[in-house]
Amino acid sequence: MEEKEVIISLRNVSKYFQGKKIIDNISLDIYRSETFVIMGCSGSGKSTLLRLMTGVIEPDEGSVIIKGKNITGISVEELDDVRRSFGMLFQYSALLDSLTVEENVSLPLREHTKLAEDIIRIIVKMKLSLVGLRGYESYYPSQISGGMRKRVGLARAIALDPAIVFYDEPTSGLDPVVGGVIDKLIKDLSSKLLITSVVVTHDMQSVFNIADRVAMVHKGQVVIVGDVATIKNTKNPYVQQFINGKPHGPIDFFKEDIGIKEFLEL
Amino acid sequence: MVSSLGSSIIAIYRSVVGVLTLFVNILYWIFIGPFKGKVASRQSIFYQCIFVGLRSALIVFFVTIFTGIVLAMQSAYQLERMGATLYVAALVAVSLCRELGPVLTALVIAGRVGSAIAAELGTMKVSEQIEALQLMAINPVRFLAVPRFLALFFMQPCLTVLGNISGMIGGLLVGTGSLKINSDLYIQTTFNYLELKDIYTGLIKSFVFAMVIALIGCYEGLNTKGGAEGVGKATTRSVVISFILIILADCVLTSIFYFSEM
Amino acid sequence: MKVSNLKKSDCTICSIEGEINLNTSPDLRKAFEEFSRQNIKKIIIDFEQVPYIDSSGLATLIELFQRMKKIDGKLRICSVPEKVKNVFEVTKLHKLFEIYDDQESALEGF
Repeated sequence: MEEKEVIISLRNVSKYFQGKKIIDNISLDIYRSETFVIMGCSGSGKSTLLRLMTGVIEPDEGSVIIKGKNITGISVEELDDVRRSFGMLFQYSALLDSLTVEENVSLPLREHTKLAEDIIRIIVKMKLSLVGLRGYESYYPSQISGGMRKRVGLARAIALDPAIVFYDEPTSGLDPVVGGVIDKLIKDLSSKLLITSVVVTHDMQSVFNIADRVAMVHKGQVVIVGDVATIKNTKNPYVQQFINGKPHGPIDFFKEDIGIKEFLEL
Repeated sequence: MVSSLGSSIIAIYRSVVGVLTLFVNILYWIFIGPFKGKVASRQSIFYQCIFVGLRSALIVFFVTIFTGIVLAMQSAYQLERMGATLYVAALVAVSLCRELGPVLTALVIAGRVGSAIAAELGTMKVSEQIEALQLMAINPVRFLAVPRFLALFFMQPCLTVLGNISGMIGGLLVGTGSLKINSDLYIQTTFNYLELKDIYTGLIKSFVFAMVIALIGCYEGLNTKGGAEGVGKATTRSVVISFILIILADCVLTSIFYFSEM
Repeated sequence: MKVSNLKKSDCTICSIEGEINLNTSPDLRKAFEEFSRQNIKKIIIDFEQVPYIDSSGLATLIELFQRMKKIDGKLRICSVPEKVKNVFEVTKLHKLFEIYDDQESALEGF
C-alpha cells in the first residue's frame, strides 16, 4: 500500500465550554483527496470538531495541523493564508443576504484574485452550472429555496478550487434527489479533482454513498474510525445503534431515567 | 450585591476594550491596509453613503426645521419682554450651529443608521455569515465595519450642515411670519452674530458623533449572541449607548471648546 | 507557464507548458487575446505539457471559445493528460470542446 499524505491532523485535541469537556483528547489523521465523514448524534461534538479544524475556535489542549502547519495560536494573517485553500459549506449556507447569487459566488474570487471581470463571470457560471443553478445569478438568497441556497453555498465553497472542502450537514434539508446530486458532486470532487472532503453528517444514506473513511464521535470521543465496510460490519454497539436508529442502546437519549422521586420534587 | 456590581464593572470594562480594539482595527484597515493591497470596496462605501446620507436627509430636515420653529417661538416669548425680538435670529443660529444641529442630527442618525447597522451585522453574526466571511479569509472589520464607518464619517457633517440650515429656515419662517421681521434684516442679524467658531466646533462635534455611532453599531452587531432575541437586544443597546455617549461627548467637547483656555 | 505558437498552413498550434492556475491564467488570456488581434480562425491547443488546470484556466479557455464562435473560427484541443481531462469531465466541458488524442488527429480535416 502506498504511503498516504496526511493533510489534516488533530493531535490530542481537547476543548472545554463553560467547564464542560466537549472534545475529549481526540487524535485523527485525514489523508489527501479522501472523503472523510464524521458522524454522531446532535451534541456529540462533531460540529465543534469541524470548527476546530477550520480555526474558528482554538483547542484548549493539543494542536491542529493543516498541510503540515500547526494552526493553533498562529496570527490571523497566517491563518488566512491557510484558509485560502479551504472551502466550507455551512449547514444553513450562510450566504450574504445583501449580495446576489452571482456576487456571493464571486466574492472569494474578487477578494483574493486579480482575475479580469469577464473571467470571474465565466467561473461563476461554471460553478453554478456544476450545482445545477445556472440562470439564478441575479437572485437574492431570500428569493430562492433553502435547497438552492445550499447549492449556491457549495458553488461559493469551491469557487477558488480549494484543496480541502468542509461540509456541515450537506444534505440536511434537501430533497432526496438534490441530496443525491450533492453526494455525487462531493464524490466527483474528491475522486477526479483530488479535493479532500471532510463531511459532518448524520444522514446514513449519504455516509454510505460518499465516505472513504468514517469516524463516529460520541460524547467528545472518537468511538471508531474505519472504511464503510468496517463500519457496516462492526459489532460496536454505539455504531450499530446509530446506523440503525434504535432508541435504546448504549447511546443514552434520556440522560437518566427520572424516578418518581424527581417528579415529586418538581 | 458587591459581586454583581463587580461583574457589571468587568462587563463594562470588556466592552470599552472591545470598542477601542474595533476602533484601532478600523483605523488599521483605513490607513495601513491599503498598503498591503487590501482596501474596502468603493462600491460598498458608496452604497453606505447613499443609505446613511441621502436616505436620512429628509428626516433630519424635518426634525431640525421644526426644532428651529419651536426655538424661535420660545425665545421670541422671552425676548419680546425686553423688546429684543430681532435677536431671535442670532439665538436660533448660534444655538443650532453650536448645539442643536449636531446633537439632534446625531440622535436621529443613531436611531436610524446606528440601529440598522447593529441589526444587520447582528443578523449576519447569528446566521453564521460573519463566520463564513472569516473562513473565506475576508476580514469582517474591513469588509463590513470600514465602509459603514467611512460613510458615517463623511455623511454626518453633511447632514449636520443640512440640519443647521433647515433649522435656521425654521427660525426665519417664524421671524418673518409671526414676528414680522423683515427677512433681509433677519438674515443679516444671523450672519452678524454667527461666528466661524460656532460653525466649526459644531462640525468637529459631528465627526466625533459619527465615530461614536459607527463604532457602537458595529461593535454591538459583531458581538451579537443568541438568535433573533440577541439581535433585538443588540439593536436596542446600540441606540441607548449611542445616545448616552453622544450627550456625554457633547458635554466634554463643549467644555473644551468654550470653557477652557484655547 | 510558457506558451509557444507554431503555424501550420492556415492554422495555429498553441502549445502550453506548465500549470495553468490563478497566477498564470492572466498570461494565457493575453496570449489568447493576441490570436483575436491577428484574426486567426483556426486554433489547436496542445495540453501535453500541462500538469494542472484550475477554474480560471478553464474560464480563459471558454472565453476563447466564445470569441472564436463569434468570428466563425474553429478551436480544437489535443493531448490532454488524464488529470486535466478529469477537470474537463467534472465541469462537463468535455462536451463543449472538441478534444483529440494528439496533434495529428486534431489537424486532420481541420
